[in-house]
Amino acid sequence: MDKQQILEKLAQAIVDTDPELARATAKEAIASGVSPLEAVEQGLSKGMGTIGDLFGRGEVFLPELLLSANAFNEAMQVLKPELEARKQQIAQTATVVLGTVQGDLHSIGKNIVATLLETSGFRVVDLGVDRSPLDFVQEAGKANADVIALSCLMTTTMPSQKAVIDVLKEMKLRDKYLVVVGGAPTSQKWADEIGADGYGQSAVDAVALVKRLVNKKK
Amino acid sequence: MLNFLDIYERALQGPIMTEQDFDLKVFMPALKQVTKQYGIQYDKENPVPSNDADADNLFRAAVDFLSRCGIYCQNTNRVMQFTQAEILQAVNEATGRCFAGEGDDARVFGMRKPDDPKVPWLHVGSGIVCTTEEMFTNLVEGYGSIAEASSISICALDTLRGIPVMAGSPAEIYAAIRGIKIGREALRRAGRPGLPIMNLISTSASAVTTIAASAAQFGLRPTDGWLVGAISEMKIDFGAMNKIAYLLNWGANVGAETSPILGGYAGGPASTAVVSTAYILMGLLVHKGKYQLTFPIHFRYGCSSPRDVLWVVAASCQAASRNIPMPVIWLGYMAAGPCTKMYFYEAAAYLLTATTSGAPSVQTPHPAKAVKIDGITPMEARFGVAMGTAAAKLNRQQANELVRQLLAKYESQIETAPTGSRYQECFNATTGKPGDEYVRLYDEVTNELAQMGLEIGD
Amino acid sequence: MLTFLDVMERATAGPISTEEDFNLKVLVPNVRKIVKQFDIRYDAANPVTTDDALARRLFDAAVEFIAQTGLYCTGTNRIIRVERDEILRAAQEISGGGTFGEGKDRRTFQPRRPDDATPPWCHVGTGIVASSEEIAMAQVEGYGSIRQASSVSIPAFGRVRGMPVLGGSPLEIYASAASVQAARKALWKAGRPGLPILNLISSATTATAMIAATHPAFGLRASDGWLIDFIAEMKVNYETLNRLAFILITGGNVGSTCLPILGGYGGGAPGTALIMTAYHLLGMLLFQGSYQLTGPVHFKHSCSTTRDGLWIFSVVGRATSLRTRYPAIALGYGAAGPCTKMYFYEAAAVNLCAVSSGFAGVQTVHPAKAIITDGVTPLEAEFNVAMAYAATKVQATRANELVNQLLAKYETEIERAPEGKRYQECFDVATRKPSEEYVRLYEQVKEELRGMRLEIGD
Repeated sequence: MDKQQILEKLAQAIVDTDPELARATAKEAIASGVSPLEAVEQGLSKGMGTIGDLFGRGEVFLPELLLSANAFNEAMQVLKPELEARKQQIAQTATVVLGTVQGDLHSIGKNIVATLLETSGFRVVDLGVDRSPLDFVQEAGKANADVIALSCLMTTTMPSQKAVIDVLKEMKLRDKYLVVVGGAPTSQKWADEIGADGYGQSAVDAVALVKRLVNKKK
Repeated sequence: MLNFLDIYERALQGPIMTEQDFDLKVFMPALKQVTKQYGIQYDKENPVPSNDADADNLFRAAVDFLSRCGIYCQNTNRVMQFTQAEILQAVNEATGRCFAGEGDDARVFGMRKPDDPKVPWLHVGSGIVCTTEEMFTNLVEGYGSIAEASSISICALDTLRGIPVMAGSPAEIYAAIRGIKIGREALRRAGRPGLPIMNLISTSASAVTTIAASAAQFGLRPTDGWLVGAISEMKIDFGAMNKIAYLLNWGANVGAETSPILGGYAGGPASTAVVSTAYILMGLLVHKGKYQLTFPIHFRYGCSSPRDVLWVVAASCQAASRNIPMPVIWLGYMAAGPCTKMYFYEAAAYLLTATTSGAPSVQTPHPAKAVKIDGITPMEARFGVAMGTAAAKLNRQQANELVRQLLAKYESQIETAPTGSRYQECFNATTGKPGDEYVRLYDEVTNELAQMGLEIGD
Repeated sequence: MLTFLDVMERATAGPISTEEDFNLKVLVPNVRKIVKQFDIRYDAANPVTTDDALARRLFDAAVEFIAQTGLYCTGTNRIIRVERDEILRAAQEISGGGTFGEGKDRRTFQPRRPDDATPPWCHVGTGIVASSEEIAMAQVEGYGSIRQASSVSIPAFGRVRGMPVLGGSPLEIYASAASVQAARKALWKAGRPGLPILNLISSATTATAMIAATHPAFGLRASDGWLIDFIAEMKVNYETLNRLAFILITGGNVGSTCLPILGGYGGGAPGTALIMTAYHLLGMLLFQGSYQLTGPVHFKHSCSTTRDGLWIFSVVGRATSLRTRYPAIALGYGAAGPCTKMYFYEAAAVNLCAVSSGFAGVQTVHPAKAIITDGVTPLEAEFNVAMAYAATKVQATRANELVNQLLAKYETEIERAPEGKRYQECFDVATRKPSEEYVRLYEQVKEELRGMRLEIGD
């Protein structure tokens, strides 16, 4: 099998949500001298990209997304030591601190965004649910984050998204971070109203939005 | 006066900071400055001071301190701030009265002054955990049988059908409701159905349990009392604020519960006295308390009987009872446990200190730092009532002298205090009567105290 | 039947697992495996299924799925296990739903069967946030004026004295108590004081606020209904169990609920139908519910009116009504908002689908995904009631044709559905009457539906 075939097989293993195949192909890649960095970026990430697109179009659902991410991680267990041995690094576009805002315990939407961001090469710090405005600000500082992503699912917790932006302003840190919001009751209008940098209508949109904003800033 | 929604608004709008910054950059410097500026000083020789001017000065210091420090809200990470004018307005508008109990036991819990001969409101019992429902019933029936008791605290249950009662879990809700039912039933058995229970909800740490168990069908009435805690030092959280919001909405008695810690963030005795007094202001202003329960304790020993803690109690109790119309229950934690001589010495010292300093109410001093399961009996409650009544006949100078004598008997033993007996070891669980040994010990100690000049009844 | 303490016992003693492991190693594989094993297949051409064999397989699949999966308790990180026999026995023993309301509005909630001519339980209104008490009261008074209304849902309050109501804060307690008081007053004004409120408590997102506002001082009665929710998917937490504990002890009606996410952990339509059926059984068995409130929500479009969403309604309605007597209310989320033709098409489709598939009750389809403040009016409620009655005259086979015709009108518009109007934009707040424009639109749509040979009343 040539390099191109191996990379395609890696991508396919991810699309097929097959952890064994992903792991075996990763080994095969190393054995046949494919660079681990290339295996990740041209193989695994490509597969995740395909799954992400299918998910965005509603052709596959959350289980496939999670299982693909699982296959991705399986292959990474093989590739990561190789990357380290060669002192190679995956290009990390940016660090995103994300979580569900205070008063809100919903996690699924946020988890999907986290998974998609991670498999798109972002470093993700997931704060979990029901986190206070100050938590977001402090954790963003600790993680040296580029982006703060705020999720909420209830109309009654939308004000907690605004509260994070208010605290950033109050602490004169607003310009340090890109702040994006999402979740069923939110909208572009809401994002504009509270002074967020962007709004993602779906998880796939959210990833595209973060990519766009990060590139623009650079 | 600021209403509770105003208070909440401040929790949303005050300056934002981490809890650590509040401790280190707000609380500590403000306390240090105020303590120095007002010249508050600990007097080791006189655990029960009797200078009214000093008491009033401490009150002013506490007002100043609260206005400089504020109260930290852990959920919004903001400091609720109050001006001196707002604090004093709350003081001026306070009535100093709490209506508690029903029927024969309906009374007004009001104020006392230092050296006041009026017998304090006698709050008996404790929320100490007990292991069986039978013991729970016996204890509460025992408390209710004390004729002088004005109100009681009921026990907490630690398991329910073998399921451990974990804070915030549904088992906690069941246990709290069960506790209330047993408590009311035991009071009926004692012939005191109207006696107010004022440590609600004793099993509970979480707001959801307090609120759930307060549904009218489980037997509570607005004339009982609910304890809502502050967090040491000078902090509060949404859990407590939720309880307050709920209780105020249907007119139930809110009891602010505070515990200044000597040797913790509050520092030594002088500054702890400032904090202890400021807490009474907080209870009035923030909790909207109809009454308060406060128990200063020592950081290292976990009890209230050391000399310096007694001084804090005396100083802040005098400052508060002279200047803040808030009926406060002064509670002490003792180092020694039930059925030990040392417990009685400590309890006598604490009750003499608080009562002569104008405590509107005193509670049964809690044996063995309140941490021993089944570690309380109605005998300690009986002693508390007798001693509180005897102490009202004395003034601060007399109390000071007696407290010094008592300290000489136990002061050196605090670190190695005996934890005493559990209920089932010194009481008969079936009949609810004390064992012979305990009766003998009790008589011995009361005789000894009588010889010191205390007119202690039977 | 299992008691609540049995459930608690399992939640503290069941197998331990991380939430992630439960999702990936138990939940997702079981859904995929069982959907395949029981041959549950989505039929896009027939959104209203008439396949009884499929419905029966779905029921059996759900029993098997629960037995293999259990319910994950995030409070203890343990899996609550349930036996096949326990589910089947509960399904056999249950005789119907709870009794709701007072006086002339007191009724027992009876199950229905597919193609049943009996009118369903008409649950009107929504818990959509209202911006002011005035609008909330206008909405509820409007709901109460609908003669066929069996019960109502009342709006949530988004603000108190201008402050946003944050979940878990003390303000939520104020808002919850106020929403209940306002709704009772509005129903009294509508001449329906006994009409039960079934979405308690819409303003309360936490157990604390829900339990607090249930205090009788604010006007609730055990004959109202409290929503206790599973967490998507197949999970409960202590918040849920605390509410459940309280409502069961106080004897209120439990409305077990969950809106499974179509495209979430259940995957596509077959897996989501499987999970929705499982919730029905768990609501009956573990929550001891008086009724179930349920409907799928599409992960991407946040509504229930997609073709696959409607299929889920029909197959689950058929499966659960054929095999249990536990009554369920179908709750649909529409993509379009009030005062749009599209909303009416969507609502008509949900009613046709649910009523002909045997759902015991239908709720007003929530306009605009239920996310627009003030985004609901009594006219939608009235339409849903009229549609539900019209649907009883239609068999499932015919309903399927009609739903296909309706889908042709709106299916492609779902992604960019119009938000529609807020109450104050299409109703007069003072007179509480709909605008002329809205009345015209409403009549126009009804004519159009009559043209489809639907016997829709005035």
